[in-house]
Amino acid sequence: MSQAFQGAESHGFVGEEFLTWLWFKWETEGGEFTLTGGRIVGIAIDDFLTFAAQTEDETEQTLRRGLPTRTAEARTALRQGHRLRKARLLLAEGERQWTATIDAPTLSLSGVKLPEDAEECESEMDRTADRAANWLALHEIVQALYRMFLKERLHPDYQSTGAEAQANWMAR
Amino acid sequence: MPFFWQGKIVDPRNDEFAEHLSLQRFRTIENAASEEVSIGWVTPADPTGDNFSTEDLDGGVGTWLRLRIDKKSMPMKWLQIHRDAAEKARGKKLSAKERRELKDDLMDQLLPRVLPTITLVDALLFEERKTVLLFATSKSAKEAFTKLFFETFSLQLEPGDPLQAGLNSDLSNDDKHALERVNPIRWPNTTLEGGPSKPVTVPRPVIQKAPEPKDEALEGAEDAVVEESVVTDDVIAADEPQAAVEEPVAEATAQEPEPTEIESLENEA
Repeated sequence: MSQAFQGAESHGFVGEEFLTWLWFKWETEGGEFTLTGGRIVGIAIDDFLTFAAQTEDETEQTLRRGLPTRTAEARTALRQGHRLRKARLLLAEGERQWTATIDAPTLSLSGVKLPEDAEECESEMDRTADRAANWLALHEIVQALYRMFLKERLHPDYQSTGAEAQANWMAR
Repeated sequence: MPFFWQGKIVDPRNDEFAEHLSLQRFRTIENAASEEVSIGWVTPADPTGDNFSTEDLDGGVGTWLRLRIDKKSMPMKWLQIHRDAAEKARGKKLSAKERRELKDDLMDQLLPRVLPTITLVDALLFEERKTVLLFATSKSAKEAFTKLFFETFSLQLEPGDPLQAGLNSDLSNDDKHALERVNPIRWPNTTLEGGPSKPVTVPRPVIQKAPEPKDEALEGAEDAVVEESVVTDDVIAADEPQAAVEEPVAEATAQEPEPTEIESLENEA
Protein backbone atom coordinates (compact mmCIF):
# COMPACT_ATOMS: atom_id res chain seq x y z
CA MET A 1 0.00 0.00 0.00
CA SER A 2 1.40 3.39 -0.91
CA GLN A 3 2.39 5.89 1.74
CA ALA A 4 -0.52 8.14 0.82
CA PHE A 5 -3.07 5.40 1.45
CA GLN A 6 -2.49 4.30 5.02
CA GLY A 7 -5.51 6.15 6.32
CA ALA A 8 -7.37 3.09 7.55
CA GLU A 9 -4.47 2.35 9.89
CA SER A 10 -3.50 5.86 10.91
CA HIS A 11 -7.02 7.36 10.92
CA GLY A 12 -9.28 4.35 11.48
CA PHE A 13 -10.16 5.80 14.88
CA VAL A 14 -11.72 8.83 13.15
CA GLY A 15 -14.20 6.48 11.48
CA GLU A 16 -14.94 4.88 14.85
CA GLU A 17 -15.48 8.28 16.44
CA PHE A 18 -17.77 9.19 13.53
CA LEU A 19 -19.96 6.11 14.00
CA THR A 20 -20.18 6.67 17.75
CA TRP A 21 -21.02 10.34 17.12
CA LEU A 22 -23.89 9.25 14.83
CA TRP A 23 -25.31 7.15 17.66
CA PHE A 24 -24.90 10.07 20.08
CA LYS A 25 -26.69 12.45 17.69
CA TRP A 26 -29.42 9.93 16.99
CA GLU A 27 -30.17 9.42 20.68
CA THR A 28 -29.83 13.01 21.79
CA GLU A 29 -31.18 14.92 18.79
CA GLY A 30 -33.45 12.42 17.07
CA GLY A 31 -31.18 11.46 14.18
CA GLU A 32 -32.39 14.08 11.71
CA PHE A 33 -29.69 15.96 9.87
CA THR A 34 -29.97 18.90 7.50
CA LEU A 35 -27.19 18.49 4.99
CA THR A 36 -25.62 21.07 2.72
CA GLY A 37 -28.14 22.20 0.15
CA GLY A 38 -31.06 21.70 2.53
CA ARG A 39 -31.35 17.94 2.13
CA ILE A 40 -32.92 16.41 5.22
CA VAL A 41 -31.97 12.86 6.09
CA GLY A 42 -32.76 10.64 9.02
CA ILE A 43 -30.56 7.94 10.47
CA ALA A 44 -31.01 5.23 13.07
CA ILE A 45 -28.89 2.36 14.26
CA ASP A 46 -30.42 -0.95 13.28
CA ASP A 47 -29.89 -4.43 14.62
CA PHE A 48 -26.14 -4.91 14.50
CA LEU A 49 -23.24 -3.20 16.19
CA THR A 50 -19.68 -4.02 17.13
CA PHE A 51 -17.63 -2.19 19.72
CA ALA A 52 -13.97 -1.60 19.01
CA ALA A 53 -11.45 -3.15 21.33
CA GLN A 54 -9.34 -0.49 23.02
CA THR A 55 -6.19 -2.56 22.83
CA GLU A 56 -5.11 -5.47 20.66
CA ASP A 57 -5.43 -7.87 23.59
CA GLU A 58 -9.05 -7.04 24.35
CA THR A 59 -12.02 -8.85 22.90
CA GLU A 60 -14.33 -7.17 20.43
CA GLN A 61 -18.00 -7.28 21.32
CA THR A 62 -20.79 -7.70 18.81
CA LEU A 63 -24.48 -7.27 19.57
CA ARG A 64 -27.00 -8.31 16.99
CA ARG A 65 -30.74 -8.71 16.49
CA GLY A 66 -33.47 -6.89 18.36
CA LEU A 67 -32.54 -3.42 19.56
CA PRO A 68 -28.88 -3.73 20.55
CA THR A 69 -28.48 -0.03 21.32
CA ARG A 70 -31.05 -0.40 24.11
CA THR A 71 -29.26 -3.23 25.88
CA ALA A 72 -27.44 -2.96 29.16
CA GLU A 73 -24.35 -4.40 27.45
CA ALA A 74 -24.28 -1.53 24.97
CA ARG A 75 -24.64 1.07 27.73
CA THR A 76 -21.87 -0.59 29.71
CA ALA A 77 -19.59 -0.53 26.70
CA LEU A 78 -20.24 3.19 26.25
CA ARG A 79 -19.64 3.85 29.94
CA GLN A 80 -16.34 2.01 29.58
CA GLY A 81 -15.41 4.40 26.78
CA HIS A 82 -15.65 2.01 23.85
CA ARG A 83 -16.15 3.35 20.33
CA LEU A 84 -18.25 1.69 17.66
CA ARG A 85 -16.33 -0.26 15.06
CA LYS A 86 -19.23 -1.42 12.93
CA ALA A 87 -22.92 -0.71 12.86
CA ARG A 88 -25.88 -1.39 10.66
CA LEU A 89 -27.65 1.87 9.88
CA LEU A 90 -31.03 2.81 8.55
CA LEU A 91 -30.84 5.94 6.43
CA ALA A 92 -33.82 7.74 4.97
CA GLU A 93 -34.43 10.71 2.75
CA GLY A 94 -38.01 11.45 1.81
CA GLU A 95 -39.61 8.16 0.87
CA ARG A 96 -36.33 6.47 0.10
CA GLN A 97 -34.75 4.22 2.71
CA TRP A 98 -31.43 2.40 2.73
CA THR A 99 -29.86 -0.03 5.14
CA ALA A 100 -26.10 -0.55 5.19
CA THR A 101 -23.41 -1.76 7.53
CA ILE A 102 -20.55 0.70 7.95
CA ASP A 103 -17.09 -0.54 8.83
CA ALA A 104 -15.70 2.47 10.65
CA PRO A 105 -11.92 2.15 10.15
CA THR A 106 -12.34 1.95 6.38
CA LEU A 107 -15.70 3.74 6.06
CA SER A 108 -16.69 0.96 3.69
CA LEU A 109 -20.26 -0.21 3.29
CA SER A 110 -21.51 -3.76 3.14
CA GLY A 111 -24.88 -5.47 3.16
CA VAL A 112 -26.39 -2.52 1.35
CA LYS A 113 -30.12 -2.60 0.75
CA LEU A 114 -31.31 0.02 -1.67
CA PRO A 115 -34.78 1.55 -1.81
CA GLU A 116 -37.38 -0.22 -3.93
CA ASP A 117 -37.18 0.54 -7.64
CA ALA A 118 -39.23 3.58 -8.53
CA GLU A 119 -42.65 2.83 -9.98
CA GLU A 120 -41.92 4.75 -13.16
CA CYS A 121 -39.08 2.36 -14.08
CA GLU A 122 -40.30 0.60 -17.20
CA SER A 123 -37.17 -0.89 -18.69
CA GLU A 124 -34.05 -2.60 -17.41
CA MET A 125 -32.12 0.53 -18.35
CA ASP A 126 -34.48 2.63 -16.19
CA ARG A 127 -34.02 0.27 -13.27
CA THR A 128 -30.25 0.31 -13.65
CA ALA A 129 -30.21 4.10 -13.72
CA ASP A 130 -32.52 4.23 -10.70
CA ARG A 131 -30.29 1.88 -8.71
CA ALA A 132 -27.18 3.80 -9.68
CA ALA A 133 -28.88 7.00 -8.51
CA ASN A 134 -29.74 5.33 -5.20
CA TRP A 135 -26.15 4.13 -4.73
CA LEU A 136 -24.89 7.60 -5.44
CA ALA A 137 -27.38 9.16 -3.03
CA LEU A 138 -26.35 6.72 -0.29
CA HIS A 139 -22.71 7.60 -0.80
CA GLU A 140 -23.51 11.32 -0.79
CA ILE A 141 -25.45 11.02 2.46
CA VAL A 142 -22.67 9.11 4.23
CA GLN A 143 -20.10 11.58 2.90
CA ALA A 144 -22.17 14.57 3.98
CA LEU A 145 -22.71 13.13 7.48
CA TYR A 146 -19.00 12.41 7.75
CA ARG A 147 -18.22 15.95 6.66
CA MET A 148 -20.60 17.32 9.33
CA PHE A 149 -18.85 15.23 11.92
CA LEU A 150 -15.41 16.38 10.78
CA LYS A 151 -16.45 20.04 10.90
CA GLU A 152 -17.39 19.56 14.55
CA ARG A 153 -14.55 17.20 15.42
CA LEU A 154 -11.79 19.36 13.93
CA HIS A 155 -12.99 22.53 15.63
CA PRO A 156 -10.36 23.79 18.09
CA ASP A 157 -12.94 23.82 20.92
CA TYR A 158 -14.24 20.33 20.26
CA GLN A 159 -12.74 18.74 23.33
CA SER A 160 -14.39 21.16 25.72
CA THR A 161 -17.72 21.28 23.88
CA GLY A 162 -18.87 18.41 21.64
CA ALA A 163 -16.58 15.81 23.18
CA GLU A 164 -17.69 16.67 26.70
CA ALA A 165 -21.34 16.52 25.75
CA GLN A 166 -20.76 13.14 24.16
CA ALA A 167 -18.81 11.92 27.19
CA ASN A 168 -21.74 12.88 29.42
CA TRP A 169 -24.09 10.93 27.16
CA MET A 170 -21.77 7.93 27.17
CA ALA A 171 -21.60 8.02 30.98
CA ARG A 172 -25.38 7.96 31.44
CA MET B 1 -17.70 2.07 -2.04
CA PRO B 2 -15.25 4.84 -2.98
CA PHE B 3 -11.81 4.19 -4.44
CA PHE B 4 -9.12 6.75 -5.14
CA TRP B 5 -6.19 6.90 -7.50
CA GLN B 6 -3.12 9.04 -7.80
CA GLY B 7 -1.80 10.25 -11.14
CA LYS B 8 -3.49 11.30 -14.33
CA ILE B 9 -6.21 9.42 -16.13
CA VAL B 10 -7.25 9.81 -19.77
CA ASP B 11 -9.98 12.45 -20.10
CA PRO B 12 -13.30 10.56 -20.10
CA ARG B 13 -14.72 13.06 -22.61
CA ASN B 14 -12.12 12.01 -25.20
CA ASP B 15 -12.51 9.07 -27.54
CA GLU B 16 -9.21 7.80 -26.21
CA PHE B 17 -10.92 6.91 -22.92
CA ALA B 18 -13.45 4.69 -24.72
CA GLU B 19 -10.59 3.17 -26.71
CA HIS B 20 -8.85 2.20 -23.48
CA LEU B 21 -12.04 0.49 -22.32
CA SER B 22 -12.52 -1.30 -25.62
CA LEU B 23 -9.03 -2.80 -25.38
CA GLN B 24 -10.22 -4.52 -22.21
CA ARG B 25 -13.74 -5.13 -23.43
CA PHE B 26 -15.80 -8.09 -22.37
CA ARG B 27 -15.41 -11.22 -24.49
CA THR B 28 -18.08 -13.88 -24.43
CA ILE B 29 -17.48 -17.43 -23.20
CA GLU B 30 -20.92 -18.64 -24.19
CA ASN B 31 -19.57 -21.47 -26.32
CA ALA B 32 -16.44 -22.23 -24.32
CA ALA B 33 -15.81 -25.90 -23.57
CA SER B 34 -13.92 -25.29 -20.35
CA GLU B 35 -14.72 -23.76 -16.98
CA GLU B 36 -13.63 -20.18 -17.06
CA VAL B 37 -14.35 -16.62 -16.11
CA SER B 38 -14.46 -13.68 -18.47
CA ILE B 39 -14.21 -10.15 -17.10
CA GLY B 40 -14.33 -7.00 -19.20
CA TRP B 41 -15.91 -3.62 -19.80
CA VAL B 42 -19.29 -3.12 -21.41
CA THR B 43 -21.47 -0.02 -21.50
CA PRO B 44 -24.86 0.46 -19.88
CA ALA B 45 -26.34 0.71 -23.38
CA ASP B 46 -24.68 -2.41 -24.78
CA PRO B 47 -23.99 -5.37 -22.48
CA THR B 48 -22.12 -7.30 -25.21
CA GLY B 49 -18.92 -5.28 -25.06
CA ASP B 50 -18.96 -4.75 -28.82
CA ASN B 51 -19.56 -1.01 -28.81
CA PHE B 52 -18.06 1.83 -26.83
CA SER B 53 -19.00 5.40 -27.45
CA THR B 54 -18.34 8.42 -25.27
CA GLU B 55 -22.07 9.21 -25.09
CA ASP B 56 -22.84 5.78 -23.64
CA LEU B 57 -20.43 6.48 -20.80
CA ASP B 58 -22.08 9.71 -19.78
CA GLY B 59 -23.51 9.18 -16.30
CA GLY B 60 -24.53 12.79 -15.72
CA VAL B 61 -22.48 13.70 -12.65
CA GLY B 62 -19.68 11.31 -13.62
CA THR B 63 -18.52 8.72 -16.12
CA TRP B 64 -20.51 5.53 -15.99
CA LEU B 65 -18.38 2.39 -16.06
CA ARG B 66 -19.85 -1.07 -16.26
CA LEU B 67 -18.00 -4.30 -15.67
CA ARG B 68 -19.35 -7.64 -16.85
CA ILE B 69 -18.28 -10.88 -15.20
CA ASP B 70 -19.35 -14.15 -16.81
CA LYS B 71 -18.56 -17.38 -15.09
CA LYS B 72 -19.06 -20.84 -16.50
CA SER B 73 -18.93 -23.75 -14.10
CA MET B 74 -19.89 -27.40 -14.23
CA PRO B 75 -23.01 -28.17 -12.17
CA MET B 76 -21.74 -30.56 -9.49
CA LYS B 77 -25.08 -32.35 -9.31
CA TRP B 78 -24.61 -33.53 -12.90
CA LEU B 79 -21.21 -34.88 -12.08
CA GLN B 80 -22.55 -36.74 -9.05
CA ILE B 81 -25.44 -38.29 -11.01
CA HIS B 82 -23.13 -39.54 -13.76
CA ARG B 83 -20.61 -40.90 -11.27
CA ASP B 84 -23.32 -42.74 -9.33
CA ALA B 85 -24.65 -44.23 -12.56
CA ALA B 86 -21.17 -45.40 -13.64
CA GLU B 87 -20.50 -46.96 -10.23
CA LYS B 88 -23.88 -48.72 -10.26
CA ALA B 89 -23.19 -50.15 -13.73
CA ARG B 90 -19.73 -51.32 -12.65
CA GLY B 91 -20.93 -52.65 -9.32
CA LYS B 92 -18.01 -51.03 -7.47
CA LYS B 93 -16.56 -47.61 -6.67
CA LEU B 94 -14.51 -45.82 -9.31
CA SER B 95 -10.83 -45.28 -8.67
CA ALA B 96 -9.49 -41.74 -8.39
CA LYS B 97 -8.10 -41.97 -11.93
CA GLU B 98 -11.41 -43.20 -13.30
CA ARG B 99 -13.31 -40.43 -11.51
CA ARG B 100 -10.97 -37.86 -13.02
CA GLU B 101 -11.43 -39.33 -16.51
CA LEU B 102 -15.19 -39.36 -16.09
CA LYS B 103 -15.14 -35.74 -15.00
CA ASP B 104 -13.01 -34.68 -17.98
CA ASP B 105 -15.36 -36.51 -20.38
CA LEU B 106 -18.41 -34.88 -18.86
CA MET B 107 -16.82 -31.43 -18.98
CA ASP B 108 -16.13 -31.86 -22.71
CA GLN B 109 -19.70 -32.98 -23.34
CA LEU B 110 -21.65 -30.68 -21.06
CA LEU B 111 -19.79 -27.40 -20.70
CA PRO B 112 -20.52 -26.15 -24.23
CA ARG B 113 -24.20 -26.50 -23.25
CA VAL B 114 -23.86 -24.71 -19.91
CA LEU B 115 -24.68 -21.03 -19.94
CA PRO B 116 -22.46 -18.74 -17.89
CA THR B 117 -23.80 -16.76 -14.95
CA ILE B 118 -23.66 -13.04 -15.62
CA THR B 119 -22.82 -10.31 -13.11
CA LEU B 120 -22.90 -6.63 -13.99
CA VAL B 121 -21.10 -4.18 -11.73
CA ASP B 122 -21.60 -0.45 -12.15
CA ALA B 123 -19.39 2.41 -11.07
CA LEU B 124 -19.22 6.17 -11.46
CA LEU B 125 -15.87 7.78 -12.15
CA PHE B 126 -15.17 11.37 -11.10
CA GLU B 127 -12.10 12.47 -12.98
CA GLU B 128 -11.42 15.72 -11.11
CA ARG B 129 -11.78 14.15 -7.66
CA LYS B 130 -9.76 11.12 -8.77
CA THR B 131 -12.51 8.97 -7.30
CA VAL B 132 -14.47 5.95 -8.44
CA LEU B 133 -17.68 4.98 -6.68
CA LEU B 134 -18.25 1.27 -7.02
CA PHE B 135 -21.86 0.20 -6.73
CA ALA B 136 -21.06 -3.19 -5.24
CA THR B 137 -19.68 -4.34 -1.92
CA SER B 138 -18.60 -7.95 -2.48
CA LYS B 139 -14.92 -8.75 -2.21
CA SER B 140 -14.87 -10.50 -5.59
CA ALA B 141 -16.48 -7.51 -7.35
CA LYS B 142 -14.03 -5.10 -5.72
CA GLU B 143 -11.05 -7.25 -6.68
CA ALA B 144 -12.24 -7.75 -10.26
CA PHE B 145 -12.92 -4.05 -10.68
CA THR B 146 -9.62 -2.77 -9.27
CA LYS B 147 -7.67 -5.34 -11.32
CA LEU B 148 -9.39 -4.43 -14.58
CA PHE B 149 -9.07 -0.71 -13.83
CA PHE B 150 -5.32 -1.16 -13.41
CA GLU B 151 -5.05 -3.19 -16.61
CA THR B 152 -6.99 -0.52 -18.47
CA PHE B 153 -5.50 2.71 -17.15
CA SER B 154 -2.29 1.57 -15.42
CA LEU B 155 -3.54 3.25 -12.26
CA GLN B 156 -3.80 1.52 -8.91
CA LEU B 157 -7.11 2.06 -7.13
CA GLU B 158 -6.94 2.31 -3.36
CA PRO B 159 -10.02 1.85 -1.15
CA GLY B 160 -11.34 4.83 0.76
CA ASP B 161 -10.67 5.44 4.44
CA PRO B 162 -11.46 8.19 6.95
CA LEU B 163 -8.41 10.22 5.95
CA GLN B 164 -8.92 10.01 2.18
CA ALA B 165 -12.66 10.64 2.52
CA GLY B 166 -11.90 13.86 4.41
CA LEU B 167 -9.10 14.99 2.14
CA ASN B 168 -11.28 14.44 -0.94
CA SER B 169 -14.21 16.37 0.52
CA ASP B 170 -14.83 20.10 0.33
CA LEU B 171 -13.40 20.74 3.80
CA SER B 172 -11.23 23.84 4.10
CA ASN B 173 -7.48 23.45 3.77
CA ASP B 174 -7.14 24.22 7.47
CA ASP B 175 -9.55 21.42 8.33
CA LYS B 176 -7.76 19.02 5.99
CA HIS B 177 -4.48 19.88 7.64
CA ALA B 178 -6.08 19.37 11.06
CA LEU B 179 -7.46 16.00 9.94
CA GLU B 180 -4.02 14.81 8.94
CA ARG B 181 -2.72 15.65 12.42
CA VAL B 182 -5.74 14.73 14.50
CA ASN B 183 -5.30 12.38 17.46
CA PRO B 184 -7.87 10.02 18.97
CA ILE B 185 -10.14 10.92 21.82
CA ARG B 186 -10.06 8.55 24.75
CA TRP B 187 -13.48 8.45 26.31
CA PRO B 188 -13.51 8.09 30.08
CA ASN B 189 -14.25 4.76 31.68
CA THR B 190 -16.91 5.85 34.14
CA THR B 191 -17.48 2.34 35.47
CA LEU B 192 -14.30 2.73 37.51
CA GLU B 193 -14.59 4.50 40.81
CA GLY B 194 -12.38 7.55 40.82
CA GLY B 195 -11.63 7.01 37.14
CA PRO B 196 -11.34 9.77 34.55
CA SER B 197 -14.45 11.78 33.85
CA LYS B 198 -13.39 13.88 30.89
CA PRO B 199 -12.39 12.91 27.36
CA VAL B 200 -8.71 13.35 26.54
CA THR B 201 -6.71 13.13 23.34
CA VAL B 202 -4.09 10.45 23.09
CA PRO B 203 -1.37 9.73 20.51
CA ARG B 204 -2.33 8.06 17.30
CA PRO B 205 -1.74 4.29 16.96
CA VAL B 206 1.69 3.24 15.79
CA ILE B 207 1.71 1.91 12.24
CA GLN B 208 3.69 -1.29 11.89
CA LYS B 209 5.52 -1.42 8.60
CA ALA B 210 6.18 -4.76 6.94
CA PRO B 211 9.77 -5.84 7.41
CA GLU B 212 12.06 -4.96 4.52
CA PRO B 213 13.57 -7.93 2.65
CA LYS B 214 16.75 -8.82 4.48
CA ASP B 215 20.04 -7.90 2.93
CA GLU B 216 22.67 -10.49 3.79
CA ALA B 217 25.08 -7.77 4.76
CA LEU B 218 22.55 -6.35 7.16
CA GLU B 219 21.37 -9.62 8.62
CA GLY B 220 21.12 -9.39 12.33
CA ALA B 221 20.26 -5.71 12.23
CA GLU B 222 16.77 -4.41 12.98
CA ASP B 223 14.05 -6.87 12.11
CA ALA B 224 11.28 -4.43 11.53
CA VAL B 225 10.98 -0.74 11.13
CA VAL B 226 8.44 0.88 13.38
CA GLU B 227 7.21 4.28 12.40
CA GLU B 228 6.85 6.61 15.33
CA SER B 229 3.36 7.78 16.02
CA VAL B 230 2.70 11.42 15.37
CA VAL B 231 2.30 13.28 18.61
CA THR B 232 1.28 16.84 18.06
CA ASP B 233 0.81 19.83 20.28
CA ASP B 234 -2.88 19.20 20.78
CA VAL B 235 -2.24 16.00 22.73
CA ILE B 236 -3.24 16.59 26.29
CA ALA B 237 -1.61 14.25 28.72
CA ALA B 238 -4.12 12.25 30.66
CA ASP B 239 -3.70 13.49 34.19
CA GLU B 240 -6.49 11.36 35.51
CA PRO B 241 -5.78 7.80 36.68
CA GLN B 242 -6.01 5.21 33.94
CA ALA B 243 -8.02 2.06 34.11
CA ALA B 244 -5.82 -0.67 35.53
CA VAL B 245 -7.94 -3.58 34.39
CA GLU B 246 -10.99 -3.23 32.24
CA GLU B 247 -13.79 -5.68 32.69
CA PRO B 248 -15.02 -7.36 29.54
CA VAL B 249 -18.18 -5.61 28.49
CA ALA B 250 -20.32 -8.72 28.36
CA GLU B 251 -19.47 -9.63 31.94
CA ALA B 252 -20.19 -6.21 33.30
CA THR B 253 -23.90 -6.79 33.48
CA ALA B 254 -26.10 -9.64 34.51
CA GLN B 255 -29.03 -8.62 32.37
CA GLU B 256 -29.39 -10.20 28.98
CA PRO B 257 -32.38 -8.97 27.00
CA GLU B 258 -34.26 -11.75 25.29
CA PRO B 259 -34.10 -10.82 21.60
CA THR B 260 -30.46 -9.84 21.46
CA GLU B 261 -27.76 -12.35 20.80
CA ILE B 262 -24.37 -11.50 22.20
CA GLU B 263 -21.13 -12.62 20.75
CA SER B 264 -17.71 -11.90 22.03
CA LEU B 265 -15.30 -12.24 19.15
CA GLU B 266 -11.61 -12.46 19.49
CA ASN B 267 -10.14 -9.23 18.27
CA GLU B 268 -8.36 -9.64 14.99
CA ALA B 269 -5.16 -7.94 15.81
